[in-house]
Amino acid sequence: MSRTRIHQIAGIIISALLLLAPFYLPEIRVHLLIEILIFALFALSFNLLYGYAGLLCFGIGAFFGIGAYVYALLLTHLPQMPLLLGLLISAFGAWLAGIAIGFLSVRLRGAYFALITFAFQMFLYAVALKWRSVTNGDDGIGVTRPEFYLPLFGKISLMNIINLYYLILGVVALGVLLAYLFLKTPLGNSAVCMRENETRSSFLGYDSFLTKVTIFSLSGFLAGLAGSLFVLFNEFVATNCIDMNMSFAVVLMAIIGGTGQFFGPVIGAAFYTAFQNWLSSFTQHWWLFVGALYVATVLYLPGGLVSIANLFKRGD
Amino acid sequence: MGCALKLENIHKDFSGLQVLKGIHLEIKEGERHAIIGPNGAGKSTLFNIITGLYKPSKGRLLFREKDITGWPIHKISRMKISRSFQITNLYPRMTVFENVRNAVISKLNRRFDWLHLLDNDQEINEETERILSLLSLEGVRNFLAAELSYGAQRELEIALTLARDPILIMLDEPTAGLNTEETRKVVEIIRRVTERKTLVIVEHDMEVVFSLASRITVLNYGRILATGAPDEVRENEEVKNAYLGKKQYVTRSQ
Repeated sequence: MSRTRIHQIAGIIISALLLLAPFYLPEIRVHLLIEILIFALFALSFNLLYGYAGLLCFGIGAFFGIGAYVYALLLTHLPQMPLLLGLLISAFGAWLAGIAIGFLSVRLRGAYFALITFAFQMFLYAVALKWRSVTNGDDGIGVTRPEFYLPLFGKISLMNIINLYYLILGVVALGVLLAYLFLKTPLGNSAVCMRENETRSSFLGYDSFLTKVTIFSLSGFLAGLAGSLFVLFNEFVATNCIDMNMSFAVVLMAIIGGTGQFFGPVIGAAFYTAFQNWLSSFTQHWWLFVGALYVATVLYLPGGLVSIANLFKRGD
Repeated sequence: MGCALKLENIHKDFSGLQVLKGIHLEIKEGERHAIIGPNGAGKSTLFNIITGLYKPSKGRLLFREKDITGWPIHKISRMKISRSFQITNLYPRMTVFENVRNAVISKLNRRFDWLHLLDNDQEINEETERILSLLSLEGVRNFLAAELSYGAQRELEIALTLARDPILIMLDEPTAGLNTEETRKVVEIIRRVTERKTLVIVEHDMEVVFSLASRITVLNYGRILATGAPDEVRENEEVKNAYLGKKQYVTRSQ
């Protein structure tokens, strides 16, 4: 069987499993699956930057947080707004922030870039913590899940976890598809050119600054979308949505899953979230085990979990 | 013939070390201009200044009467000044096809196009195929650039330079490290693809220089020693002393 054929079959099986999940999983597992979907999108947005454009960013949590806060504020102040429009506006908010932060940081390279993006996130964290009149500080903002009007189907209650699951599955699938197709466009190729040989690209006429700002803001858009979904799911936003653990978790997910392939971070997000969920049911010190897992991955499986498939292929 | 590129009193110093000390040079439209000189003469620095990698400390750079002094690299490249590198500078983990395609996308100004899929894009793919066949690289189109022989990498280097349809082609030691056979092939390619274009070439192989160039500039310690037709330069006493040597210039033993 050819490689693409295996991929196609795996894709069909996973899609079918995801579509039918609420029918064979108990409700508590559907909750977990929703969380996995949201973090899969988030990890993917990180990997657009790191895996494809070669930009290691420690501040991607900033965009997740912005998407989350913007959506929570929209739900609080404009509860009548159509649901999908609200998600879109939140993602665009993160996109704008991506342009601004990208503009100030993409000229830096390597660790300097990683650290300045982290600094921007810490700045935004401080704003979320201290600007109490808007963000409610560390008490956070509780919101009510809005109704969802679907043409032909009418009003759909999202208090039903299964309906919520399908809505989030749809939005995440759309985000993943967008990222997938994006990488096959000339602009996606320009991002890869930055990673592969930035100097030569400049000499071929590529404006590396503008290319990086563009990819940075797009990545922010997807991270913001993930953040807004997180609020829709939790009905709550607090500073934990924008603190540094958000960025670190997603870096770990992407690296554990494998940054070299498109679906690596998705697998990483699934594994990480499930693993953490399972561990935290019997120990508070789950970070310790996640850390050990991360160290083991970097040392013994640098290509991440997706590269396990390649280990078997070595035989033939 | 008009003047393609004009250098006016170009100086460059690297924290006190004066590498270029007032270069005046005119590259005419359609000529093949070789820059020669001993190591450390400033040839590469001059190349890097023309293509935007370095900014001159003093002086002006005019391309078709437009002042391009201090422009960033990508803008100079978009003026259709295209360069190759002495040390092969490719996309090693991409295929030959993808390497050339990167240049073609940029030439067609599709760098920020996010509404079309590359694989289905006729305009881009056809132009890429044309460049590949122009340099006879079709046979290795699916090889990674890193997998190519050194000779083929040098050809790909030229392909990337040419894929942008440059007005001014700048080749930095295109035959460096090649054997006689490969050198002959590359020179043949250069001759073929630079017809009716303006070429500036830095080269150490005097056989290549004298067989390709219509004008030669000799650089020594950051100054121009002589500029002129190949025969004039060959007979110039100063040039003989500084670079070519008193005897017949070195030819490759056949």
